Amino acid sequence: MIDRRRRLAALAGGLAAGLVLAACGSTADNASSGGGAGGVKTDKGVTDTTITLGVMTDRTGVFKNLGEALTGGNELWVKDVNAAGGICGRQLALEVVDHGYKADTAKTLYPQLEPKILGITQLVGSPVLAALKQNLIDDNVLTAPASWSSEILNNPNVMMIGTTYDLEIIDGLAYLQQQGLIADGDTIGHIYIDGEYGGNGLRGSKYYASKHNMTVQEAKITSTDNDLANIVTGLKGAGVKAIVLTTTPGQTASAMSNNAALGLNVPVLGNNPTFDPALLQSPAAASLDKLYVAASSAPFSSKTPKAVEVANEYKATYPDKPKNAGAQAGYVESLVWQAVLEKACQNGDLTRAGVQTALKSLTSVTTDDLVAPLDYSIPGAPPTRGVYIAKVDQNAEGGLTEVAPLFTAPDAQGYKAPHQQS
Amino acid sequence: MSEVTVTPPETEAPPTPAPRRPRNWLKIAGVTLFLVLLVLFPVFTGTDVAYLKAGQYVLIGVVGAVGLTMLVGQAGQLSLATPFFLLVGAVSYAVLAGDSGDSGDLVGLGLPPVVAAVGAVVICGLVGLAFAPVSGRLRGIYLGVASLSLVFLGLYLGQSLDMLSGGTSTGRPPPTFAIFDFRFANTEPAPTILGVAVQKQQRLWYLFLVLAIGAYLLARGAVRSRIGRAWRAVRDNEAAATAMGVHVTRVKAGAFTISSAYAGLAGVMTALWLDLVKPDENEFVGTYSITVAIGYLAMVIIGGLGSIPGAVAGAVLVNGLPQLLTLGATEFGWFADARFGGPSPVLISAFVYGVAVVLVVMFEPGGLAAIGRRLAHVRAARPTRGGDRG
Repeated sequence: MIDRRRRLAALAGGLAAGLVLAACGSTADNASSGGGAGGVKTDKGVTDTTITLGVMTDRTGVFKNLGEALTGGNELWVKDVNAAGGICGRQLALEVVDHGYKADTAKTLYPQLEPKILGITQLVGSPVLAALKQNLIDDNVLTAPASWSSEILNNPNVMMIGTTYDLEIIDGLAYLQQQGLIADGDTIGHIYIDGEYGGNGLRGSKYYASKHNMTVQEAKITSTDNDLANIVTGLKGAGVKAIVLTTTPGQTASAMSNNAALGLNVPVLGNNPTFDPALLQSPAAASLDKLYVAASSAPFSSKTPKAVEVANEYKATYPDKPKNAGAQAGYVESLVWQAVLEKACQNGDLTRAGVQTALKSLTSVTTDDLVAPLDYSIPGAPPTRGVYIAKVDQNAEGGLTEVAPLFTAPDAQGYKAPHQQS
Repeated sequence: MSEVTVTPPETEAPPTPAPRRPRNWLKIAGVTLFLVLLVLFPVFTGTDVAYLKAGQYVLIGVVGAVGLTMLVGQAGQLSLATPFFLLVGAVSYAVLAGDSGDSGDLVGLGLPPVVAAVGAVVICGLVGLAFAPVSGRLRGIYLGVASLSLVFLGLYLGQSLDMLSGGTSTGRPPPTFAIFDFRFANTEPAPTILGVAVQKQQRLWYLFLVLAIGAYLLARGAVRSRIGRAWRAVRDNEAAATAMGVHVTRVKAGAFTISSAYAGLAGVMTALWLDLVKPDENEFVGTYSITVAIGYLAMVIIGGLGSIPGAVAGAVLVNGLPQLLTLGATEFGWFADARFGGPSPVLISAFVYGVAVVLVVMFEPGGLAAIGRRLAHVRAARPTRGGDRG
């Protein structure tokens, strides 16, 4: 069995090498970064011709729409980079595995993937990330997670792309107050899914409330609850002036329609994952106009030039894939990896340790405004605190209009993330 | 399904001590070879620990399924509570062996890991015993539904008692297992077997193998002894069992206790396997979810209710198949063209064991165990009644 596997591996390796050589042949003229094999230290996942990054995604589980779009974004980036001559004289390659959002499957797939890759450019699923935490630390694998909780920043191998759920809420509430929709001393409701996602969002509203003498009326739900009528009724009874959501899009629909049906009609603030363009086709569509979304990345329909470019390229390349903000998020994950790899190449060290060193020296990664500039020099701190604030608008493409691009509240600057070290 | 639980396959012990049968050398040689292969498994996998990881996962299933088949098949009590006891076992181990965490908001007693593992098994046994008033009064599908409520209880408690469970956000890491000074972690230098370094994953494989074999032998002993006879008597006819002097309430409580302790051990193994104790975010998907309860029930039905070797075979199918298909999918590119919404390893294995359950219930209620027995009889060309019984 081993022999057969080795033979297959050798065959696959040979084929891959051949393809890569062919690819190099065609693009050798415009290879700009130079260096080639000479003088660059490497260990796992990097050969003289190829840099391989891992993708642990969900193609078959509950987040398959997001996973496919993220992977599409990653693949577009690889195509763009390779067309421009690669990084450090090497072509980029992805090794994609599907864990179906199951921690036990991911736990088995990881040891198969780990020896082949330098780092991970997409890891979907907070249960998966939690189960792999120790592996990533032991093997020193730098990982860009598709999860934006500041709780995971105690893992030094996590490279957060954008800001975190707690800061989205702090910025969002500050925006609502700036607009005069809430005031000091108000009561606000917060409906959240118990878990990493919801817990992190709640941390944000509690912090903001403590700074502004507000009371947070907490309502904990599970990700499978779909009817929030009784919860919204309860919040109405508590006299809330605004509702914060850290929920699934389906739950957002329920909360919004009850907000209208019960005559509560307060402004609602949601984290990035609470809105999905598909909601505009749902029966709740008419009641969505009070929803503000605070997100660390630009919406799919954003007017930011780079976002438009990625969206168009994505639609042309993958006509069948689901269209959501995952495309840009996947692209931006990989753009940050590109900055790290280029820095590591400059330092002449493309090992896993060298990549870590390169990351920590980056204080302002720009991504053509797909996310705010990122600073990775403070361990445990989110790399940025700015968010895009958008409001649901039936007439806008993708259903969201930006009302405040890259907004950072003063309170967000003073906020200390749970694992922030300074 | 209740049909199956009330008419389990023939698994009775011989009525009287049978005259000593001639040794079945073929069987002894086969078992020896099988054990040698299991011991050498880390050598075959070498540095490719992914397959070792899949193997460990199967062994967790073996321990849980052997415990469940005693309860469902031998004692006739349908239980869907396995995930709850997995959770209690995992959390108990983390609490007993763990420390208070970085921020000091966790409960941790810091006991030696061996003591903690034994303690976790005992705690699960006691929790199972506490459920005895319910399990003693209800039967069949009613007991199944009542035991299912424990899964929901586990979900709620896991979420609310985060000083014990670590909470759904981050969970808590279980302490590294160690026997005195021998730690089940990577070390330098590591001992080697036939040139393969025995690191964390190899060590865990051997630990799990010893636990699974121990669990198997204990269960076989119980089934063949007075305890097993009492279970089967209660299962078949409570009045008759009482008339024969079996204390029905006590036997039922005992079966639930023992099965819960087995599930607790599987829970400790799960914590060590995942390097994480983290309660699920909802009741449908996750390590301690309803899906897992159904998976364990499928193992014991496919294997043949009450059969210990059958439970092992069921665990290999239900826990092993998805893992192997997933690894194969990446290594050999299976399913590569049918990605989005197409068949996936997890989906295909769910169908395979779903179909297996249906086929077993329709055509061979004795499950894989009965098929195995029949094959053995064909080979021996003479019926050795009860020869391959659990």
